[in-house]
Amino acid sequence: MKLSAIRPIALVLSRELAITALLLLGVSFVVFIILYLSPGDPFSVLLEGQMSTAEARAGLREVLGVPKSWHAQYLSWLTAMLQGNFGTSIRTGLPVLKEVLRVGLNTLVLTIGSMLVTLIIAVPIALYSAARGTNRVSWPLTMFSYVVSALPVFWLGYIVIYFFTHKLGLFPLVLGYSSSAQKFGWLYTLLPIFVLGIGNGTISEVIRYLRDEMGRVMAEDYIRTARAKGASVWKHAYKEGFLIPVTEIIASKIPFILGGAVIVEQVFNWQGMGRMAWQAAQDRDYPVIMGIAIISAVFVRLGSLFQSIVYVAVNPRASKE
Amino acid sequence: MKSYTQISGEIGDLSELPFWKKTDVVDLVYVGYGLFIVTLVVFSYILGTFNLLPRDPQEIDLELMIAPPGTTGHLLGTDFMGRDILSRLIVGIQAYFLPGLLAVFIALFFGTILGVLAGYRGGRFETAITYVTNLVDSFPRLVLILLVIAAFKPNIYYIMIVVGLTNVPVVSSHIRGKIHFLKQKNFVEAGVSLGLPTRTIILKHILWHNCRSLLIIQATIGMAEAILMETSLSYLGFGVQEPTPSWGNMVQAGANYFMQGKFWLSTAPALSILFTILGFHLLGDGLNNILEGKRGK
Amino acid sequence: MTAGPLLKIEDLRTYFYSRSKQAFIRSVDGVSLKIKRGETLGIVGESGSGKSITALSVMGLISAGPGVISGKIGFKSPRITKNLLQDLDEYVKLTMKDGKIMQLSKDFVGWEKHSERIMSRVRGKEIAMIFQNPKSSLNPFAPIGRQITEAIQLHTAIKNEQEAKERAIAWLDRVKIDSPRLRFGNYPYGLSGGMCQRAMIAMALACEPSLLIADEPTTGLDATIQSKIVELLAELKSELGITTMLISHDISIISRLSDSVAVMYGGTVVEYGPARDILALDFAFKHPYTTALLASIPSARNIREKSYPQAIEGDVLDTINIPPGCRFYGRCNQVTEGIREKCAFKEPDLREIAHSHKVRCWLYFD
Repeated sequence: MKLSAIRPIALVLSRELAITALLLLGVSFVVFIILYLSPGDPFSVLLEGQMSTAEARAGLREVLGVPKSWHAQYLSWLTAMLQGNFGTSIRTGLPVLKEVLRVGLNTLVLTIGSMLVTLIIAVPIALYSAARGTNRVSWPLTMFSYVVSALPVFWLGYIVIYFFTHKLGLFPLVLGYSSSAQKFGWLYTLLPIFVLGIGNGTISEVIRYLRDEMGRVMAEDYIRTARAKGASVWKHAYKEGFLIPVTEIIASKIPFILGGAVIVEQVFNWQGMGRMAWQAAQDRDYPVIMGIAIISAVFVRLGSLFQSIVYVAVNPRASKE
Repeated sequence: MKSYTQISGEIGDLSELPFWKKTDVVDLVYVGYGLFIVTLVVFSYILGTFNLLPRDPQEIDLELMIAPPGTTGHLLGTDFMGRDILSRLIVGIQAYFLPGLLAVFIALFFGTILGVLAGYRGGRFETAITYVTNLVDSFPRLVLILLVIAAFKPNIYYIMIVVGLTNVPVVSSHIRGKIHFLKQKNFVEAGVSLGLPTRTIILKHILWHNCRSLLIIQATIGMAEAILMETSLSYLGFGVQEPTPSWGNMVQAGANYFMQGKFWLSTAPALSILFTILGFHLLGDGLNNILEGKRGK
Repeated sequence: MTAGPLLKIEDLRTYFYSRSKQAFIRSVDGVSLKIKRGETLGIVGESGSGKSITALSVMGLISAGPGVISGKIGFKSPRITKNLLQDLDEYVKLTMKDGKIMQLSKDFVGWEKHSERIMSRVRGKEIAMIFQNPKSSLNPFAPIGRQITEAIQLHTAIKNEQEAKERAIAWLDRVKIDSPRLRFGNYPYGLSGGMCQRAMIAMALACEPSLLIADEPTTGLDATIQSKIVELLAELKSELGITTMLISHDISIISRLSDSVAVMYGGTVVEYGPARDILALDFAFKHPYTTALLASIPSARNIREKSYPQAIEGDVLDTINIPPGCRFYGRCNQVTEGIREKCAFKEPDLREIAHSHKVRCWLYFD
């Protein structure tokens, strides 16, 4: 990339950042509305939770009361959040943001790992189908991926766990397997990544999209020119046929994968955001679930931002649009 | 080795060929399987509503616990309380059938309205709707639903409304895209210059003739998602509660027994989920290829 | 100096298949052509006549099925002598009925591997091809300079990046692109159609190929730009003496640049000979199609003589439903009663009627 290209790219990126900020604002508003409309006034609970100590809370309540009008509530809640104060968990009393970010890291690992697994499986099938069309090899694989995508991920989880514990005897589920448990404990962390990667339902869509896009690109005039001059087709096609579609579909599937993470974390007892969300929903722990909703949205938008960056970096025309 | 044969005699025109010769066998298989599943689901739903079941799904038989499939009187065996699995599976459809239809209806209805507004009016409308679309897409659906559950009751109908609403942007963007496409082809201009009365009639032309297949396909996708959502929620314990069966909570209940090597309790409902969702997906895919003519080499 | 033609196409057949009609699309149905060293052969015909498909078949760029199914493409350059379709018959099995191919089987995977092995030494290096729609034929994601240096580094002895760049810039200059050093870093979207086409020509010729195939190089460009590109090609032709296969439906550029002309119709060559003979309006032994083609151009002479261009009646031949007999029969306005039966039921051969001038017409033979 040349130096002269950097300025327009920076302009486009700042535009993307602005849009992201606007969207996150909208996200906060949606969450606010849901909580505000719910019976039982969780909002005041939230606002109170955002105040620092119990005494301060009690004292402030006497003096100021919880603000009455909805926009005032929204504003004070939003300002507190922007300062990092997401309130405290009803159940544990711990500050929400810190807790969510702590487990959020585990979920991030799970999510990104599973995306890699999905890509490792989907990309070869898609590229092969784009190059060779539907044939004896690509069709069964594609069909198989459709079936796998419809698998309920929780059930897949059980199968995998069963297989690993009973057949391979690798797990610390039964005490006394200490030596092999040490050796293979790390393998256990790979399992949920593997399960989510296969079971999140996105494999068939990734294959389909990537295959269609790469197929379309391969039929373009400039690829014909590349072939005519004896150049490597991949070298010319990968930007439009691989990089852009892959980042596009993965970014669009992040919400879906996060949803799957909720279930997988349940099955494997993985201490992530998803499990925390489930617990919070059970306990009606509004601050926590709200914090998770917002942080998830942030993840999603970050993924979208990343995709925009790739698009702009690859496409010389993007900076002019 | 690929073989090509030319038919002898007169070479006809495409439109003369009967429907089944024009399409790919694969798509016909997809659609066939999909329709089979849909019929099965509807049929089972009706059976369930009128209680025409092989056995009482709640009937406990402690003498016959975890019987394998094929045991007399229990085609698919029994669960850990001796209850007939087949009957419970059939009743389980009740948990997602109507709520699923609700989700699909909401998605299609509002999605179409918004899509038409965005595509037809364009301008600020379109920007606003794009914004809302991106906004809704920012949430993982399950997390949003958990938020709704925490704030309100875990009522499946509320939840399906949310599912439907989250699908509205997808539907509307497809419709909007279609309208742009038609605009590009001067289709809309032609209609206007022909002096076709109100937009209502143009909408009939756009929607009925051109978006029909799109909507049907979105309906299948939407239903598949609704089923997945309901089963996931009841698996997590937020849907239908015991002893009422739902495919999700049946898998959950069977989990312990799975680890003991008794797979069937969880597997029967899991396979039902698998084949049903697959059915809707393939139906949508097959219809997409047939109606939108994407295949053909 | 090797004797013999640089390129000799013998009885080439390239078919496609319509699944909806369950019939073959006989795009190139027995085409034979010859190009001598240093000569420019112009191939002219309407769309659908098979001219572009012929060129793509020579380059091995046909990807749809069944593709090239029979024939021989002899290529003889200083560096290589080869039949580009060598061993094709080992991968294709034809079944005829009533003299027409009604069924065929082709081992795609095998043929492609085999063909790639042959063509990888030829494409870009021995035979270079330029296309119509230059803007979409260049990679939109790379600057044009890099696309040229890529070709240079692939096919010439110049592997060093800096040297390749210098050579590319020299060629950009040679194709009359202004500020070549600056333009080197431009992307195709920032250049006009004419400039893109010049860049493509530079990219093709920078590797000094033995044969240049130009497929409708001026189609899609503005009229004024078209003539500039034609001028450029004429200049390069006299400077470099490069052998060219020029394809166009535009007779004017064919006449400006060609030494020999082949007229194609319905997938076959119907007339073939020296340019001045074929393009001369009063040459005695012309194919009715050629005559009609020349008469349909709004040229100054036509207008002076006739005052309106005459369209050719009827539709372009449907290469699926090929009728028996001469392919031009339905539209020919020179059929006489004496030969009508032959024209309707027996396809004439391409036969020599004057020195190196061949015609496929019953008017001139028995």
